[in-house]
This record gives sequence, structure tokens and C-alpha cells, in this order.
Amino acid sequence: MGIEWAIEEPVVAGIAAYAARGVPGVSRLETGVGGLLRSWGRSKWQQAKGITPVATDGVEVSVEGATVRVRLGIATNGLAQAASVARRVQREVRDAIVRDTGLTVDEVAVAVLDIEPASTR
Amino acid sequence: MAVETSYDLPCGRSLEQLWDHIDAADEHERACPHCSTARHSLRALREATDELAADRVQPRIDLTERIMSAVRAEIRGRGEMLPLDAGDTLQVSEQAVAVVLRFAADEIEGVRARRCRVRAVGVEDGQTVLHAELTVATTYRDDLAELLATVRDRVMAACAASVGVRLARLDLRLADFYDR
Repeated sequence: MGIEWAIEEPVVAGIAAYAARGVPGVSRLETGVGGLLRSWGRSKWQQAKGITPVATDGVEVSVEGATVRVRLGIATNGLAQAASVARRVQREVRDAIVRDTGLTVDEVAVAVLDIEPASTR
Repeated sequence: MAVETSYDLPCGRSLEQLWDHIDAADEHERACPHCSTARHSLRALREATDELAADRVQPRIDLTERIMSAVRAEIRGRGEMLPLDAGDTLQVSEQAVAVVLRFAADEIEGVRARRCRVRAVGVEDGQTVLHAELTVATTYRDDLAELLATVRDRVMAACAASVGVRLARLDLRLADFYDR
């Protein structure tokens, strides 16, 4: 008997969000208005069923067959270089998706949308 | 660290200002494209939160902060993005970089940052190269050249430390004096 399985987009988004939040220098994931509304809708539906959804705000995923593309919006804390943080987020997210799903990652794009100013004194 | 929200919009208005009188916009807010976009987003989210307010299952802690953050991200995501690599997969918001530069100048006593424009001119040795123009107002003093040199040093240092790109050129414009 063969077993077929598929990984859906919210699963990949959850893996990506968890990996990105774990990178030093990331203060939060940044989502736009549409992303926030989608996240509320998903949250309400899952809470009605008695489960707490994994936060995936700020992550957009498209899965086509066994290939995945990910876009993330992040805010950095200003104490670390945003460019270095973004590069590491890209690497960690790619590694986590490959490790946890076996999918082929075509692209991980990272946009730094906010940098919290840090004192230079 | 708290986010410095007074730098939210390129026109100088903050999201908090818009939120406080969202149903009674002034002339600037009606005409300004940045304010119009932000007001539209804030209104859409307010309507959504009205529904959530009636739903006791949904926790409302930090709701306002999430809305503000989403609108800020929306505005920045639609604005100019600067490359962080030779490809097109790593980017930083021009407004986010401008906030860092303005904040560094604002920290100096006797200096108030005003407008800041940043543009990418290329990528050298894997590092993005930027040019920036920063407009400031200062108190009137006899060591003005020294003060502006300090502004330049602090802004360059902040760009290297918080953004991690090379600011190859910084044009400083002294727009005005102000009283202490």
C-alpha cells in the first residue's frame, strides 16, 4: 500500500516563522494589513475548534508540487546589522524547510521593513 | 526597545496622530498620499477589530500595537526598497534606513533631523553602497562646523552598526536654526 502525503502552505509558513524568530537580531516578523486580516481569520477559525494556531504573520508561502517559495518581512533590533540578520534568516529558513519537509526551496526572500533605532552614544 | 513611532510617515505625521483623529482628517491628511494610504488601512483594521471586539474568544492584548505595526509595514512595503545583495532576494526599506539615520542625528544635543532620502548606488564586494541626503536644523552656535562633523560621524556609524551597508556619501543640508 502506498502512502501519499502533502505539505500545505500554513505548515511551511509555521516552520519559516519559527526559524526566523530564532535568529538573533530579529525583534519580530512584520506583516501588512492583508496579512494581519488573514491571520485573524485563521485564528478565529482554529480557536472555534479549540486549537491555538502557530503565529505566521509576516510569512507568505507558495507551494507548487515539491517546490516552495517563501517571502518574509522582518523587523530588526538595531543592535545587529540588518543586512547580516536578513542573510542569516534566509539561510536558517531555507535549512529548516528542507530539514523538516524535504521540499525543494526555490527562493527565500527577506525584506527588512523596520529597524529599531539603537543609540550610537 | 520601543519603536520610535514619530518617524512613521515620510511626510512627518505619525500613525498615532492619524489614529487619534481618524474621523476628522485635516487638509494635509486628506491631500497627502502617505496619510491617505495609512488612514485607509487604519479604517479597514478598525472595522475588523469592531468584529473582534464582539468575539470574546479573541484575546485583545496588544491589538492596537499589532494594527500600528501592520500599517507601518504596509506603508514601508509599498515604498522604495533598497537591495542588500546582488540578487533580488534581500531588501531593506528605504524608510527604515532613513529612520536609523535621522535617529542618530537627533541624539546629538542641539540637532533636529528633518527629511532624509536614501538611495542605493550599487553593490561592491557583496556590500550595498548607499548615498543619503539628510536635512537638519540646529541651535545657533559658533562651533557649527564641528557640530556638523559630529552629525556626519554619528550617522555613518549608525548606518554601519544597525544597517550593515556602506554609506559612501552623506550630504548634509542645514535648513534652519532653532532656539534652545
